[in-house]
Formats: sequence, structure tokens, C-alpha cells
Amino acid sequence: MSTATTEARALDPGVAPARYARGWHCLGLADTFRDGKPHRINAFERKLVVWAGADDKLNVLDGYCRHMGGDLTQGEIKGDNIACPFHDWRWGGDGKCKEIPYARRVPMRARTQRFETAERNGQLFIWHDPEGSAADLDILPPELPDVLTDAYTDWSWHTKEINGSHCRELIDNVADMAHFYYVHFAFPTDFRNVFEGHTATQYMSSKGRPDMGQGGYGDENSTLKSVATYFGPAYMINWLEVDYKGFVTEVILINCHLPTSPSSFTLQYGISVKKPEGLDEKTVQYIAERYTESFGTGFLQDVAIWENKAPVQNPLLCEEDGPVYQLRRWYEQFYVDQAEIKPEMVDRFEFEVDTTKANEYWHAEVAENLRRRADEDAATSVEA
Amino acid sequence: MGLFAPTRQETVEDQRLYLDGRLREIACLDCLAKVKVKKNSEHHTAVQWTDVALGHCQEFARLSGQPGGRPVYETCSRLMASIDRAVAEGELEVGAQDGY
Ligand code: FES
Ligand SMILES: [Fe+2]
Repeated sequence: MSTATTEARALDPGVAPARYARGWHCLGLADTFRDGKPHRINAFERKLVVWAGADDKLNVLDGYCRHMGGDLTQGEIKGDNIACPFHDWRWGGDGKCKEIPYARRVPMRARTQRFETAERNGQLFIWHDPEGSAADLDILPPELPDVLTDAYTDWSWHTKEINGSHCRELIDNVADMAHFYYVHFAFPTDFRNVFEGHTATQYMSSKGRPDMGQGGYGDENSTLKSVATYFGPAYMINWLEVDYKGFVTEVILINCHLPTSPSSFTLQYGISVKKPEGLDEKTVQYIAERYTESFGTGFLQDVAIWENKAPVQNPLLCEEDGPVYQLRRWYEQFYVDQAEIKPEMVDRFEFEVDTTKANEYWHAEVAENLRRRADEDAATSVEA
Repeated sequence: MGLFAPTRQETVEDQRLYLDGRLREIACLDCLAKVKVKKNSEHHTAVQWTDVALGHCQEFARLSGQPGGRPVYETCSRLMASIDRAVAEGELEVGAQDGY
């Protein structure tokens, strides 16, 4: 036998990073934290306390009091400060202890870890950097004009805990053309990536598969134009133009996450729909709910894969795959010290996938599925 | 360092193959930009820019001057034309190797 053989390939699981990404992380809708109570957020393998003081400003501190370790998330808001349930030490949003009601003076060293906060598009962000750098306001996600005005529906916001995967699995989606057919039941007709600086973008057009009849991407009556950009490591804005039987709707989908451990993260997604003109409020709400549901389904389709897959540091690619290695190189910039960022991690990279061959095959497969189903239907109706 | 360190020597070679393999330097015919390009098919193109190349590109400079700045999805049509020209003149080979 002269056939060339190669050795069986091994999956390299890699060694998970020892730190969490630098950058802005979204904690959720800002107003949900303005109910006069302290809130607990799990992130970066720790507990954080979030509260709004009497001044309405949102603050985020490490969740444990520096006095004797009391749980500040179970404390009480007093004025602008968070008061510890254990001995009532009062902590300000700047991380300093402002008052110890039973003491003559506050020790100078009474300072805890604070996170710089910012609000954008009705959402609360914190800056996370293991090196402790000052927050970089220039790379906050952009303002979305008209969102939160009457022109758009209010954010419909959802949270889901994901266990058993590093959050990088979620990032990989940016470069994954073929999974849109298999996991989300759509034909991706155009697929392009651009990575540059702290952003990674996916441009995609797709059309639903007629053999699945599911919501989300996979509705045969809808075609989709999608631009999805990660602004930093953990926050994506997805601008979608959905054409449903000629009726075009603009949808903004937020997809963000908070890493909670090396193998878990909290996924959050939010949807705001541009209200189509000439429709009454009730119909608009109905449309918004349908889109929320169907994109929610889309995330669950991914989650089912993540929860069962193996981590792979050495994916084997074919011609029709997107630039997974380049995407990961881009993503790595958030896991190294700022001084260690290499030019190629942030240099502009463009990649256009040729989807011709894939769509030829997929259309034939779908036609075959439909034919088989028609035959089965015919057979059952004869039996009946 | 950094993210997911490989545990196998072969992975480092894969990284080299997928990140740098078959990238050819292409010079823009209209400006001083030099980029690295790989082309698996007529429709597929990968373009690796550098900071310096980006700085040379007139088209990008013009786009940056717009209100709101340069949209990241815009590419340089002159560079794209230069790539097509390189293909036509046989300077840039089109086709994948072992599927990539
Ligand atoms: S532990 Fe918080 S006040 Fe004592
Ligand atoms: Fe997906």
C-alpha cells in the first residue's frame, strides 16, 4: 500500500489562562440596581457588591468588608454608602471607609477594592484589569442613538448561567460560519470578519432553512443581515436587519458575559427593536417579544453545544472555516499585560469566507430532507 | 503567557500554519501600503494589515476624516484591485493547501 497515512490527531485542551480579561464588562441594566438595595454580582471568581447611593450614582466594590470580612451584599445602603451588616462600617463608592459609627476615627488604610463604573445605553459597566490600570473610557462600547427613546422598545434583558465552558467558547462563534447552518438552521450566504484594535466584527447574511421551521435564524421566511462587533473581550453589539416576508425590522441584540470561574460564565443578552412605523403599540410589543424569544432560542442552541464540547487549542480547519486562530490571537490581547500586547493581536485583519461550495451542498441536503418528508407525509395520508 | 497555552509542540506548528502560512506580501498599486494576503479561491481573501500599511492608505485616511470616523467594515477598494491584479499577473497564487 502506498497510500500516505498520517497519525491520528490529538486534541490539545491547552492550559486555561490564570487571569480574567482586561476591559469593560457589562453587569446588566443599570436601573435594576437602583431599587435601594445592595446587589450581589459574581464575577472573576469573586463576589462584588453593587448599589446606588442617595446621589443615584452606581458603585461597585469587592463584596467583602475589609474589617472582618462581612458580606456587603447583605448590608444596607445608608446615604451614599454601603453599610456592612457585621459592624456597620460604611464604605463609599470610591473604595474608602467613610465612617465607623462606633469609632473615634477611621483608619487611614481602610480602603477596599473598587471597580470603576460607567453607564452606556442604559447598562452598567465595570472596568476590570488584573494590572489595576485606570479605566479606559475611550474604548467603552458606543452609544446607540435612539435606543431608550420612543423609537425603540425597552431592553428585554435575560441572564443565563453557563457551566462547564470557558467564556472563550462564546467568542469563537465570531469566526464560525458553518455552525449557523447546523446549530442555528440558517444558510450563511455571506460571511466576513474584520479584527482591528479592541474590536472583532462578523458580517453575515443568512436565510432560514425551510426544513427546520424554527424561530431565530432558522425561519425560512426570513433573511437576515447581521453586523456583530465585540467591543473588548466581553460585550458584543449585534445590529440585525430582519426581512420577514418583505417586512424589514431593525433589531439590536446585546450579547455580553461575565466570567465567573475558568469553566463558567454568566451570559446576558438584551434585545431592543426599532418600532416599525404605522403599527400600534401592542403589535410592536408582540413583534419585539417574538424576536426576543427567537434570539433567545439561538443562544440556547449554542449553549447545548458548549456544555458538551471539549476545549480545543488546536482546531483543525477546512477552507470554508473562518479565521479561528486569528480571532483567538485578537482575543489574547485582553489576557496579557498591556505592555505585552503584540502588534499582530491588534493589527487589522480581514477575512472573507467563500460560502459557495457550502451552500451548494446545504441546499441539496435541505431539498433532500424536504423530499423525504413529503414522501413520508404522502405515505401516512395513504394509510389514514 | 496569556490565553490558553498549548500543551503540545504540534499546536505551535498549527498556529504558525494557520496564522502565517502562505501569506504573500502584496504592495498597493496606489500607495505605499504593503499587506500580506492569502487567497484560497476567487471569493476567499485574507488580508493582514500592519500599523504602517494602515498609515499609508489614502482611502482609509479619507474615511477617517468622515464624521463618526472610519467604519471598520470598509475596506480599501484600491488595495482590493491591487490584489486582483496580482492574481491576474500570477504573482499571487489562488488555492488552498490541504484544505486551508
Ligand atoms: S466586618 Fe464589616 S463592619 Fe465589621
Ligand atoms: Fe452560535
